[in-house]
Amino acid sequence: MLFQSWAFLIFFAIVFPFHLLVKGARLRIPCLLIANYAFYGFWNPLYPLLLLYATTVDYLAVAWMSRGGPKKLCVGLSVVNGLTLLAFFKYAAFIADNVNLLLAKFGMAWSAPRPDFVLPVGISFYVFQSLTYTIDCYRGQVERETSFWRYAAFVSLFPQICAGPIQRARELLPQLRETPRIGGRDVADGASLFIVGLFKKVALADYFSLYVDEVYSMPGEYQAGTLMLATFAFAWQLYFDFSGYTDMARGVARMMGLRYGLNFNNPYLATGLGEFWQRWHISLSNWFRDYLYIPLGGNRKGNLRTYINMFLTMVISGLWHGASWNYVIWGALHGAGRVCTRELERTNFYRSRLPKIVKQLFTFVFVCFCWIFFRAETFADARLIVSRIFASGFGEPKFPLLMAGLALSVWAYQFVHESRFSLWLQFAPVKVALTAAMLIYIAVFARTGNQAFIYFQF
Amino acid sequence: MSQAHKAPSPSQSKDSGKSEDAFSSNSVRLSGRQWFAALVVFAAFCVLVPAAWSRAEHFAPGRDYRVPYSMSDDYWHYARLCRRAREREDVVLIGDSVVWGEYVSPDKTLSAHLNALDGKRTYANLGVDGTHPAAMLGLVRYYGRAISGRRVLLHFNPLWMTSPRVDLQTEKEFRFNHSKLVPQFFPRIPCFKDPYPNRIGTAIGRYMPVRAWVNHVSLVYLDNSDPASWTINNPLTSPIGMLTMNLPEPETAPRHEQISWTERGMKPSNFEWVSPEMSLQLMFFKQTAELLLSRGNRVLVILGPFNEHAIAAESKAGYGRIIEGMRQWLDKKGIPSFAPPLLPSEQYGDSSHPLYEGYSIMAKGLLESEAFRREFQQ
Repeated sequence: MLFQSWAFLIFFAIVFPFHLLVKGARLRIPCLLIANYAFYGFWNPLYPLLLLYATTVDYLAVAWMSRGGPKKLCVGLSVVNGLTLLAFFKYAAFIADNVNLLLAKFGMAWSAPRPDFVLPVGISFYVFQSLTYTIDCYRGQVERETSFWRYAAFVSLFPQICAGPIQRARELLPQLRETPRIGGRDVADGASLFIVGLFKKVALADYFSLYVDEVYSMPGEYQAGTLMLATFAFAWQLYFDFSGYTDMARGVARMMGLRYGLNFNNPYLATGLGEFWQRWHISLSNWFRDYLYIPLGGNRKGNLRTYINMFLTMVISGLWHGASWNYVIWGALHGAGRVCTRELERTNFYRSRLPKIVKQLFTFVFVCFCWIFFRAETFADARLIVSRIFASGFGEPKFPLLMAGLALSVWAYQFVHESRFSLWLQFAPVKVALTAAMLIYIAVFARTGNQAFIYFQF
Repeated sequence: MSQAHKAPSPSQSKDSGKSEDAFSSNSVRLSGRQWFAALVVFAAFCVLVPAAWSRAEHFAPGRDYRVPYSMSDDYWHYARLCRRAREREDVVLIGDSVVWGEYVSPDKTLSAHLNALDGKRTYANLGVDGTHPAAMLGLVRYYGRAISGRRVLLHFNPLWMTSPRVDLQTEKEFRFNHSKLVPQFFPRIPCFKDPYPNRIGTAIGRYMPVRAWVNHVSLVYLDNSDPASWTINNPLTSPIGMLTMNLPEPETAPRHEQISWTERGMKPSNFEWVSPEMSLQLMFFKQTAELLLSRGNRVLVILGPFNEHAIAAESKAGYGRIIEGMRQWLDKKGIPSFAPPLLPSEQYGDSSHPLYEGYSIMAKGLLESEAFRREFQQ
């Protein structure tokens, strides 16, 4: 069930009033849990079984830990179970393909069977979210949740189950324990977040995808100009798609009395790669920071280890996105970029003397270059695109003027929002006009049909 | 990511000193009152713009106007045509391509012949190509409200019962015309497999005239593609510039050659007639007639004339059952009907569509019929 679909609107029109009715009663958590599982089961009636399994294992691991069980074994069980689920559903085919490639190289006749599972929507997100609970319990950073139902509701919360943002147990479980206070302000705020997300998704992301999909499906047919513009368009498409989803998720959660942290903070205004990762998919960046980078040693063990840790974290983050060498390369490029620019970003010249706009453009162009590997269907396609960008003529890119105008308008808006003129955007008439314009644009211009979010495939 | 070790969490970031930043990465945060104002502006747009458009767009249909073939899916235009017919015409004809005039030009359709032969009343052609009864019900229900209380000649075409497939009864998905007009959920149409979220959207969209208006603009000015897709195909052109406010001229030539069904190489067919009790299309046709009656329309049903020459001997009995069943139902409901005589074989373009002379014979027969005189000449 997609947020931008009528089915969701009807689902929420039923769930929300019911939630308001029972918010102070014991029924709140069971009702929320039913809504969560119904929402998730809408994709595939078997998915909730997998979700229930993942939830139960982690809950029991912590319960055992709290009753004096061996802590390392308990947390190990939980981590191994989570990663096994991911390996089984997400990486099995990738592993089999690579094993078979190696076997063929050594001339061996046997080949590993290639499983062909459908990747359950959101598995990467809820497995990571559940792991925040077991690991934090192990570290003593979060109290054990005694109610299985509340824990199950935490793992399966419908606003974020499909594509995050990945919420920490220590942030979300306390909210679920308290009776939510939902006022008119929360509903208005939630609606504000939701409408911006809806606009980003149906009016912008789905529109940009028309151009990107056409070019990336046959990259050999296009010259440098078109390929570059399609890559820029993809950068915006991905941002609108994923941040649009997050905005809608945060909006829905807010209306339900839950607060989710910011997940995107105008990432294309970043002045360096370090800052980019503090602005892009913040919940995942923080997850990798807290549960991988720091445990690896972070920056405590000298420069070399810091660079290795940084690089490894980015490569694994790339692999988290998908079972393909393209994602690994994408992660490695970011890792290498981060390693190379870390010292540069600390210099006085870069920090003070280089104009901000130059730094932003440099970062944006590098990030776009990396997106080529993220978006291309195959590694061969990515190589072809890169080689054509540098080797073929510019050509005559037929880039829709409207699309260019929209991307520039959003960029300009974000500039103003982060500038000293941001107060202009907070004038009531400006906000009302902007919201009415978004509603009208959605009604008139948005494409009909419900396109899934890009991050659902991860 | 490396700075992440030392990096503050988003809620503690350097920007978070401003409360707005913790809320979102933009300034769109409306209060209840501001939301109300935004919704009022939006609602005003949705109501006023289509209404203003309707006045501004040049639309002066002639007496024998019919919906251009390319605008068959333009239900907003159909609703406007119904409003125009209510103002100008005495009788409206509703039906599928038989009424629309599949093999003839606009001035040779059934309504055109009636206009020419009947000096007292005027007739509007509200036929739409491809509107099988399930779609006709939706067309009349959602877009034909303006003709409430008018005299209606409702055409019944047995073609839609010639097989379980055209009766929409097969379980295998079958993409048919005007699927946005058919009931999306109940009664269940077995061959209609649109995903449920799309159906919900379709069902809700019927009550949002702005959606139908957008479809009209796309269909008429943007090569029948949505505005977003249109800019992909026309990257350097402004869609605004395409809005000339001139509707396409109705086609003056027939869509097909004026030759009979036998000259087309057709042979008599052994139709698998659906039984009248089981037919979905028949049920939808009856519902359309009842809907019109409930809206105060005076309805006269034209039964056929189906091309009986094209029915193989072994399936004539099935056809007889359909017509007889229909007659009985109409009698029971007190709805007058007229069954034109079977036309000469050479006056059929296919199994159900008359050619030019065929319409002429139908029109004469109708005007002289007892049912018509009794019901419509008062």
